[in-house]
Amino acid sequence: MNSKYAARYRQDQILKGLVYFFGSLGAVFLLMIIYYVVTTGIQLVSLDLILGDSRVINTSVYVEGEGGSYPLTETIDEDIYYSPKWGIGLVDAISREGYEIVEIGYIHPDSLFNETFDISQSDEFGNPLIIPLEPGISLITGFTDTSFFVTRDGPERIVEILEEANAIERFTIQDEGGGIRGSLITTLWLIVLTLAIAIPIGVSSAIYFNEFSRQSKITKIIRSMVDLLTGVPSIIYGLLGAGLFVPILNSTIGTAGGSVLSGAITLAVILLPVIIKSTEEALKVISDDLRKGSLALGASETQTVFQVVLPNAVPGILTGVLLGIGRIIGESAALIFAIGAAIKDDIILTERATSLAVHIWTVMGGDAPNYELASAIAIIILGVVFIMNFLVKWFASKLNKATY
Amino acid sequence: MLSIRDVVTKENIRKKNRTDWIFRNLFFISSIVSASFIVLIIGIIAVRGIEPFVQVYQGYNFREGNVDVGPVNILTFLTGMQWLDGSVGTSDGYAVGFVIINTLIVVFSAILIAVPIAIFSALFIAKIAPKRIANGMRTVVELLASVPSIIFGVFGLGVITKIVASIGTLINYQTAAGLSLMSAVIVLSIMILPTITAVSETAIRAVDKTLVEGSLALGASDMQTYFKVVLTAAKSGIFAGIILGVGRALGEATAVAMVSGNLFSGIQLNPLGTTSTLTSRMLLGIKETTGLDYDIRFSVGLVLMLVILITNFSLKFVMSRVGGIHEQ
Repeated sequence: MNSKYAARYRQDQILKGLVYFFGSLGAVFLLMIIYYVVTTGIQLVSLDLILGDSRVINTSVYVEGEGGSYPLTETIDEDIYYSPKWGIGLVDAISREGYEIVEIGYIHPDSLFNETFDISQSDEFGNPLIIPLEPGISLITGFTDTSFFVTRDGPERIVEILEEANAIERFTIQDEGGGIRGSLITTLWLIVLTLAIAIPIGVSSAIYFNEFSRQSKITKIIRSMVDLLTGVPSIIYGLLGAGLFVPILNSTIGTAGGSVLSGAITLAVILLPVIIKSTEEALKVISDDLRKGSLALGASETQTVFQVVLPNAVPGILTGVLLGIGRIIGESAALIFAIGAAIKDDIILTERATSLAVHIWTVMGGDAPNYELASAIAIIILGVVFIMNFLVKWFASKLNKATY
Repeated sequence: MLSIRDVVTKENIRKKNRTDWIFRNLFFISSIVSASFIVLIIGIIAVRGIEPFVQVYQGYNFREGNVDVGPVNILTFLTGMQWLDGSVGTSDGYAVGFVIINTLIVVFSAILIAVPIAIFSALFIAKIAPKRIANGMRTVVELLASVPSIIFGVFGLGVITKIVASIGTLINYQTAAGLSLMSAVIVLSIMILPTITAVSETAIRAVDKTLVEGSLALGASDMQTYFKVVLTAAKSGIFAGIILGVGRALGEATAVAMVSGNLFSGIQLNPLGTTSTLTSRMLLGIKETTGLDYDIRFSVGLVLMLVILITNFSLKFVMSRVGGIHEQ
């Protein structure tokens, strides 16, 4: 008898161990994702990245005059390689896209590099355009009278080459691209437009279902049709966007292919079931006494809906909206079809653009996926999504307290 | 002095009724609009998806110039073992037969991994863990469910495929940089884990307390009660979660497309070989394509919807037979 209990005890312990192990796996996965994304992307997250252009602009410039002697008068960072002959200091850096580049780290106040001249462009009098150099601009290639250099040489070697040279014929500087401002603005536009479409329709539908619909077959059919929307995969919504909204917009307002608008309309359809559901949940818990009281005081149906029922449903609607924002920011498959994946800097609502999530898709595609940039964007997306979730939870707990 | 008749005039009542009528109809129209989208989706995908099978497209070949392409043979499309026989733009030999099978392999492998973990997790959260840990885990599950697909893709490419690639090197097998059936299955199973866990947990918590007490009173241990009584009682809820998970897995696009390797032909049973799913086929090369090669994606979408519908119905049927579960 004892041995039987012992066997059962052992079995129970094993099962318990399994439950604890598997039960914690979810947390392990979540932590792994957060850890990977944060460690890979965090060094790229900066205001520069968020506000920067995505397009890389190269400019070829030249310096007039010969090298002189510009001894250092102030202390500069230790990792800057300084060329006293030209009065310029170069430094190793990582571009916003995660590549190794050579940046200007310091320029002597008297250096010739304070005034460089554009090779290809001139002003209206025919004088070459003056391009002032500043720390932070990166050097791509350069030709001196004796040699040439490229980024790969690294700052130390480039400074050596500069020291040997008597004149610098031309060099290429680069305004760093790889910023995500365009995609960020597109995403914000998508949020605004999508909510502007989805909230009125969604809330009105929820009001109809909860306040006006009678128990009839038609209501049941309409309701189950809305429910069906929840189960449709997002890529299918993308096909709806590409197959219906894009052509309609093309023929009515003359867009060419996908646009921010077509993306917003598609996303609005995705959000509809979410907003309808959360609004309805909120409407359901509103006490009937409020409605009866309002009607008994002589308010019309419309007044009751807008002045008594809806104000009480605002927290529920807000929950739907917050969840919806999380969904918009994270949506990729539908938008790849409905907007396209063209990364832009200047956003026009009737033209192609791309959201943050699709930006990740673009930089991760191809033969050399850019893990750093993708992770940096992912940090932003995850941050927003998690904040939305916590806000929803916080709202819910507030509401629960309020009703008791 | 105002009399009642001054306030409640016929004119006032009519006005009130008119606004009520307008808004009632506005609300009704909104609900009709909301409901109509499912019809639009089905309609658009059916129409655009059938087009490649009936229409002749204009293709281009540098040797022959403009050539006519299509229509695609629907029977080959559904049963073929190679995505495209020929080159893009000049061939109409599209087929998704092998993709359908590969999709089902990927999805059901993911389900096979995710379901046990999800059930254990649900049991852990609902019954076994201390309250604070349980609440924490519930939040974790919610957060995991809210992680967008694209981020699973980044994680899959950055971590999972690398692990798979090193497994490959360990056994001297050259993988396609870790893009493989195994990676797709792992990523997918992590993605559907929270869905199944959440639904199962609700089902487990809804199990009648008297059942648990009865079992314990009969001398069964905690674990015996949880595994033999609670899980059995929560069976229908857990099955509902699994069906939801299968639906989600079948429609999952971005992450799977990023790690599956987009196999071009044939059924993949080797965990370290590349595979392809219907969704990854739709996404691949979408940016730089037009004509038939673009429209065929609607056909793939149509097939995807049918596969989801058929899988859903057959799962419900099988589970009602096996589990003796009835729709509520």
